[in-house]
Amino acid sequence: MPEIIAIHSFRGGTGKSNTTANLACLLARQGRRVGVVDTDIQSPGIHVLFNLDPKDVPCSLNDFLWGKCDIGRAVYDVSRVLGPEEREKLFLIPSSIRTGDIARVLHYGYDIHLLKEGYQKAIAQFALDYLFIDTHPGLNEETLMSIAIADTLLILLRPDQQDYQGTAVTVEIARELEVPKMFLILNKVPAAFSGDALAAKVTAAYDCDVAGVLPHADDMMVLGSSGLFCLAHPDTALGRAMEGVLRRITA
Amino acid sequence: MNPGAKKILFAGLAFAVVYGLLNSLSNIFLLPSAPIISMRPQIALPMAVGILVHPLAGFITGFAGNVIGDAISGFGAFTFWNWHIANGLMGWIPGLAGYGGVRRIGTVREFGILQMSLVGASAAGVAAAVGLDVLFIHLLTFPSSFPSWILPAFLTDAVNGFILVPIILLLARRIRLTLETRTILMITGLLLVSILATAGSITWAVLDDLVSHGAMVENFYIAAVVSVLLLVAGFIAAIVFVRKVTDPLADLACAAQAMEQGNYDLPGLAGVSARRDELGRLARAFEQMAGKVREREKTLQRQVDELRIIIDREKQAQDVSEIVETEYFRALKEKARKFRQT
Repeated sequence: MPEIIAIHSFRGGTGKSNTTANLACLLARQGRRVGVVDTDIQSPGIHVLFNLDPKDVPCSLNDFLWGKCDIGRAVYDVSRVLGPEEREKLFLIPSSIRTGDIARVLHYGYDIHLLKEGYQKAIAQFALDYLFIDTHPGLNEETLMSIAIADTLLILLRPDQQDYQGTAVTVEIARELEVPKMFLILNKVPAAFSGDALAAKVTAAYDCDVAGVLPHADDMMVLGSSGLFCLAHPDTALGRAMEGVLRRITA
Repeated sequence: MNPGAKKILFAGLAFAVVYGLLNSLSNIFLLPSAPIISMRPQIALPMAVGILVHPLAGFITGFAGNVIGDAISGFGAFTFWNWHIANGLMGWIPGLAGYGGVRRIGTVREFGILQMSLVGASAAGVAAAVGLDVLFIHLLTFPSSFPSWILPAFLTDAVNGFILVPIILLLARRIRLTLETRTILMITGLLLVSILATAGSITWAVLDDLVSHGAMVENFYIAAVVSVLLLVAGFIAAIVFVRKVTDPLADLACAAQAMEQGNYDLPGLAGVSARRDELGRLARAFEQMAGKVREREKTLQRQVDELRIIIDREKQAQDVSEIVETEYFRALKEKARKFRQT
């Protein structure tokens, strides 16, 4: 049964795109067929991590949402990030980075039925096991839609007071929308923090499972948006923590 | 490494031929006042074969090689059969050091076992030859055979083995060049050079008078025995010295690894930090650093322990209701519910 996993955070800068890309890569490397949708229409960025040049994107999620193209044409095989010979393992549905396209979608909005139908078509056509939805931060109509569609919702937060408050709202909203599975992921946690103690506190505060505590990694910062951490540094505290998250959410 | 019987036999015999030829050559150069014992650097060959191939291969090389050498030299293939056994033992015993953990030498301890096994093999070989002679052959007479057979035989084998086998093992890359082995090799080299220089200069000085001065020869061999004893004593002292330097380094390395794994109690460093030398200073600096890091980590941990997740429930409820009560949200919830049912 294919699974749709939405990744959300209340505030920006939590490392949503990076985490999404890394989890997707790790799963694809385990032999699953994985798709990633960039629904962050206002500020798309995940295509950079997958080395997809916007010039090579004639059709994007935006085009599909306006009925300009079939969803299949907006799916791009980005398996090459896993290795030069890799094909048909990892797929990306990018958002358009053209400002005109962005403004248009934001102005007219789009319909959840169309989105859901598009996802289902893409899943069927590319025989995907998992579809990750990278969302825009905050709780606007589009992100609510992504949460509503998801089978599993991952909420990213940093150990930071503003994130705590916003996450509390998101968790309540997700419960209202009856998301079947929901996990919190703590990201950018200073190395000195005891992960277990922090996870226990967060679990108690939100009454929600913590899928993992991802340590702040300087290597990740150095890498910036120029590559995928789990491929460049698999055997680090962060790499192992990511593997742990995957085990929890795919269990 | 465990070669089969075939390989042991083949290697043993092949090197025996080389050893035999070298023996027949060196039998031309006899040691001063020793009728049959020659200067024999080739003894390193069966010893090295025993270590590098197999103890039994070393035995075969020593035994068969001595048979071949005696035959070529015209002594008769089995006249001195007890010395064949002696040569066999000299090839066999050093190989046994491999079973004492000396496969690839990386520490002073391993090097010490090797060198002692070479000296020990020489002593055991000669002792066996003498014992067999006393029991069966009755060629030796005491005490006159002592300086003319027994001592020269032991000295030439022990000293040549001690010098040449490490060189062969170095060439065969069986000695890992660590801080310990580099130091012990250097000290051993210095010891050997000084002792050999002394022995050589004495030999040079008395050589012309040797035949007419039997007593001088006797003194020379006694001096040589003293030299070997000095060599062994110096070697043991060197081992102790090297370990005094390298053991603390190993302790420091362990401490660094423990710290890397978040363990800041370093009881293993107590011995090193009590030293009054540079290593002691390093260990003390290390302990201080560990203490500082532990302090810092404790402070951070306390901050984490005190960390509270404060959620303003009133504001949360207000924010949630603002979203939930919109027409859009109600419709979305309805649609989502339908999706999940299908």
